[in-house]
Amino acid sequence: MGRDLSKPDHLPNLRPGREPPHSSWLPLQRRGITPQMIGRYPDYDVLDSADTWDDATAKVVNARLHVPTELRFFSVGEVATLRAFCNVCVAQDGEPRVPVVEMIDERLAAGRLDGYQYADMPDDRDTWHVVLAGLDEVAEARYGKATFAACELETQEAIVAQLADAQLSGGSWDSLNVKRAWSVCMRMILAAFYAHPWAWNEIGFGGPAYPRGYMRLGPISTLEPFERPGATDEDPVREAPELKG
Amino acid sequence: MKRNLLKGSVGPKDNDSRFLLDVHRRDLPGEDTMVRYDDADEVDLCIVGAGAGGSVLAQRVARAGWRVVILEVGPFWHPDEDWVSDEAGSHDLYWTQKRIIGGTDPIEMGKNNSGRGVGGSMVHYAGYCPRFHPSDFHTQTLDGVGADWPIAYEDLRAHYETVERELPVAGQDWPWGYPHSYPFSPHPISEAASVMWRGALKLGITMRVGPVGIVNGTFGNRPHCIYRGYCLQGCKVNAKASPYVTHLPDALAHHVEIRAGCMAARVEIDQPSGQATGVTYLREGDAVERLQRAKVVAVAGYSIETPRLLLNSASGRFPRGLGNNEDQVGRYVMVQGASQTAGRFPDELRMYKAPPPEVSSEDFYETDPSRGFARGFSIQTVSPLPIGWAEHVLADGHWGRALREYMRDYNHWACIGVLNELLPQPDNRVTLAEEKDPYGLPVARFDFSLGDNDKANIAYSTKVITDILHAAGAQDVLTIHRYAHLVGGARMGTAPDNSVIDADQRLWGVPNVYVCDGSVCPTQGSANPALTIMALASRLGAHLARNGRP
Ligand SMILES: Cc1cc2nc3c(=O)[nH]c(=O)nc-3n(C[C@H](O)[C@H](O)[C@H](O)COP(=O)(O)OP(=O)(O)OC[C@H]3O[C@@H](n4cnc5c(N)ncnc54)[C@H](O)[C@@H]3O)c2cc1C
Ligand code: SF4
Repeated sequence: MGRDLSKPDHLPNLRPGREPPHSSWLPLQRRGITPQMIGRYPDYDVLDSADTWDDATAKVVNARLHVPTELRFFSVGEVATLRAFCNVCVAQDGEPRVPVVEMIDERLAAGRLDGYQYADMPDDRDTWHVVLAGLDEVAEARYGKATFAACELETQEAIVAQLADAQLSGGSWDSLNVKRAWSVCMRMILAAFYAHPWAWNEIGFGGPAYPRGYMRLGPISTLEPFERPGATDEDPVREAPELKG
Repeated sequence: MKRNLLKGSVGPKDNDSRFLLDVHRRDLPGEDTMVRYDDADEVDLCIVGAGAGGSVLAQRVARAGWRVVILEVGPFWHPDEDWVSDEAGSHDLYWTQKRIIGGTDPIEMGKNNSGRGVGGSMVHYAGYCPRFHPSDFHTQTLDGVGADWPIAYEDLRAHYETVERELPVAGQDWPWGYPHSYPFSPHPISEAASVMWRGALKLGITMRVGPVGIVNGTFGNRPHCIYRGYCLQGCKVNAKASPYVTHLPDALAHHVEIRAGCMAARVEIDQPSGQATGVTYLREGDAVERLQRAKVVAVAGYSIETPRLLLNSASGRFPRGLGNNEDQVGRYVMVQGASQTAGRFPDELRMYKAPPPEVSSEDFYETDPSRGFARGFSIQTVSPLPIGWAEHVLADGHWGRALREYMRDYNHWACIGVLNELLPQPDNRVTLAEEKDPYGLPVARFDFSLGDNDKANIAYSTKVITDILHAAGAQDVLTIHRYAHLVGGARMGTAPDNSVIDADQRLWGVPNVYVCDGSVCPTQGSANPALTIMALASRLGAHLARNGRP
């Protein structure tokens, strides 16, 4: 059965261990694509309104659907750990995946950085290399695996949790401020993931709105005709009363 | 009050920008026919930076017949092609060239702080346009903290009124500070903002719609806002005010040249006389140094780049940097605390609709001894787009599955923030780092540390906005602590040992160099700075133009 979306009981802060419920309460996407095909707006595809976007915006957003697969910034030896790390950070545990790795590689190769560097940190580009090396070191030293990528998912999550809590030290980790390294990486991962229209589908974001604009600001409705309300995992066929019993 | 009856129908005098713009195209009109001055041609004024301060100054003195060149390191925007309705795609609007940050509370820059290109940071500012309060100009006398300005609110009042008509500012009648009304009526507000308003009402906190520099009605050829919510990505509609639409069209029509893609390297000083002779600059992709000769120079590069340029302009006569004989350049840089809390509500609010700046309160602006700290804060609604929202969720400690869960819940959330007045400190300072930029110029380093008064202010204000959320019926709350709005670094004062410039914004000890941007502010209150920066530039423009061309 579905949950009542007006209630907040699925939110981590209100649950034991700050853990969300298993994703099985979410409906599978019926229209368009979402990461892992889960989301809250199963009948909404932001790309349906791409024809209402201005050309410059459409070009930038559509390019994300065709990110080059060849990596330019990261080395071959780094890729497996990089991929595993990015998957864990935004819980992409299956296909289809937003190509976070490729998007980050493109940004770093082009040198499109955020415009500031902490005095106790290396350049963001070096930070990425150090973090990946550090993850492999932890996997080996504490868990006896050759690389971070070779660890079980639970182990990977445990290592990332330690990184998020700035609990990692020794080796590569001593060459930077661990807390800041986490924020450098996460900022870039999140900026890639939530730039992608598949992620917008998952969260029901209306997307680019020029020249069309938004009209329904509330209180009567906050839904434009092309937007869809949130939904849970009811199957519209299975749950239809005339088909029951 | 007569102005209320005339709301929306009174345009500014002596500024035709709104008519010069094209209804259907967004390009700055006049780029093709723009006058081009020769480097060797000694112009009346060379301004560094086509941002909030530099653009207004250029427009003002150009109207008085001055021949003006603005050097701007960023691009000459063509918004139809260059700007997008997209967060990540707007990366190039921001100053993303490297800056080093230090101190015990380093301030993250990038998209959160300043812009780079014709129009400056206001191209992607949110659009809040409050005035400072009269008390902001005398915090030392009134509260024993901060600094007194060498000028008072009355010196700026007429300029506030003029600039409010030029932007134009829309909002309800303003009960705080020096009470005033706005030339345009308040915008309709979203349900996300209404929720906050209802929470504030329950706590007895007064809220008002606005003030925002966003067209709400007929204003020359500038269209009405379409509530698309991408103000921080550059307004592709021309509804939101920035110098690009409010002052530069009129400036070009009065023979100002904007030389984009040109990085000012240093202000050139004639050693015997100590007078500036012009500005040395580098064109993008060209290592040849050029000197634009000028009778007067104004530096308007933002609170980081202005001190950097002055320090990089060291010469025999000013070995520690231009205007820095007393070691004042780059000191007293301020930010405002800008913590935000978000609340979860039963209905879908979809906060991405409508401009992020909607309603605000200045109930807590002034000192209240019972709160245990000096000065105060303002409260404003904000509404992050998905990437901004993800940073907010991360700041509350979530990643992986938990973060995805909060992100999927985006449409149920509404967000409110504060702006804390943080006090000026001499060691919160811009200096030169060892690292060099691609032009070979040392980059800026900015050190920042909070004081005890600052921390108490931030803690208190965070509780107030969290209480508003609870009163509004929020089911869950997420908080992010952050900072915004740099000012200071070349502050005005009464003497060279307490400031960089005098009350007329002229560098101490240099007769023909002025500073004209946010770096001139000795304090910054709890109001967003852009309107005040423009009003100060308007005042300086009037002062310079008073005696005709130099
Ligand atoms: C995300 C965001 C939201 C904001 N929201 C608000 C708001 O709601 N309300 C508000 O009042 N303020 C807001 N602000 C702040 C406001 O935009 C700035 O305070 C204001 O624009 C600063 O004006 P300025 O004249 O000091 O500098 P700027 O407007 O930044 O102009 C400086 C210009 O100088 C150029 N420059 C710098 N160095 C050189 C050099 N050496 N050579 C050539 N050119 C150079 C830069 O490229 C830039 O274009 C916001 C800022 C940001 C980043
Ligand atoms: S919400 Fe209005 S002011 Fe903001 S970018 Fe959109 S049209 Fe411009």
